[in-house]
Amino acid sequence: MSGPVNDPARIPADNKKTAARCGPPQHGFPMDNSEKPPVPLLDLLISFFRVGLTAFGGGTAAWTYRELADRRGWITYETFSTGLTFSQVLPGANPVNLALYLGMQLRGGLGGFLAVVGLVTPAFALIILIGLVYNWLSGYPITTVLLSGVAAVGVGATLSVGAKLTQVLFAKRALLAKIVQALIALATFLAIGVMQWPTIPVVAVAVPLSVLIALALERIHPNG
Amino acid sequence: MDSRLLALILVFAPLSLVSFGGGQAIVADIQYQTVEAHGWLSNAEFANLFAVARAAPGPSTMIVALLGWHVAGFWGALAATIAIFLPSSLVMYFSASWWHRNAGSPWRIAIERGLTPIAVALVFAGALAVMRAMHMNPVGLAVAAVCALLIYFTKISAYAMFGAVIALYSGLFYFQLI
Repeated sequence: MSGPVNDPARIPADNKKTAARCGPPQHGFPMDNSEKPPVPLLDLLISFFRVGLTAFGGGTAAWTYRELADRRGWITYETFSTGLTFSQVLPGANPVNLALYLGMQLRGGLGGFLAVVGLVTPAFALIILIGLVYNWLSGYPITTVLLSGVAAVGVGATLSVGAKLTQVLFAKRALLAKIVQALIALATFLAIGVMQWPTIPVVAVAVPLSVLIALALERIHPNG
Repeated sequence: MDSRLLALILVFAPLSLVSFGGGQAIVADIQYQTVEAHGWLSNAEFANLFAVARAAPGPSTMIVALLGWHVAGFWGALAATIAIFLPSSLVMYFSASWWHRNAGSPWRIAIERGLTPIAVALVFAGALAVMRAMHMNPVGLAVAAVCALLIYFTKISAYAMFGAVIALYSGLFYFQLI
């Protein structure tokens, strides 16, 4: 993380923050918090390994947010929401795409690779293990009961992250922007969640509309 | 290379590129390719593996690991997993690289702002989809609500929560309350 512009030794203390923020990207992948040292690759691997172990019942994105944003403080809400939408729109398993995006954001291509390996390895090992004992497990009715409990935790995690994201969505914006963003979120939720329209076409319409509205709002309230 | 491994890769790698929206999009194609086209397993066996994949952690696409295992053991599982994740990951890699190169442009800021409400909607829609698929009972809803509050307001570990819920459900099951 040293460069002619960003070298902390050359910059007076009071200018460090600004200089770090304005400095050029060091390796093509600008970091969320340029003032912090880069995330160690081993920590990145361990974090996604933890997510892979905890991600039962469809809450993988939620556990990813909890680990990387809440617990580690590595990513911002904007990074997460951009990565989440990308991961849903592009082909591929959403949690894997999200891990790749966030890993790349934190540590470039190698970071993305380690994030995916960290996420998939425990999932791979566990599914093989469960596959081997499933015939034995499925003989017991308690298996289904416990799995539904595990799924309920996953739903809880997802709801909590949804609430956090909603809170951040409204932070530091002009009133008009808040109302418009809430309406876009609500309409998209109704279409995909309640009406159960297919995700891809809905997102294909909603994203360009939402981006154009964001551009227009920026004209009305710059930086709002 | 073992011809069965090659066959697994040739089945799953193309499906990876069309799995828009995630694993659910290609489950029907996976079933067709493995059961009908290649006759690697019966429909009943496929249904069984599908149930395992839903029960296990991680993306539902992991069913390919079980299918690979069924066809060619450990190396089959590994080949199938890499085949289903690598092509789509390359697409994501090049898209994200392009995206990161364009940091700071006004368009990018507008795109990030515009994606924000969509992401919120997708998170809640995802929770609703799981609730619907699981036919959640009142106990499940209560557990989900308590977990949501705990995760929102505390730093409780996921493992502690899973442990507590498994203990609770075991107790309810034991006393035939669920």
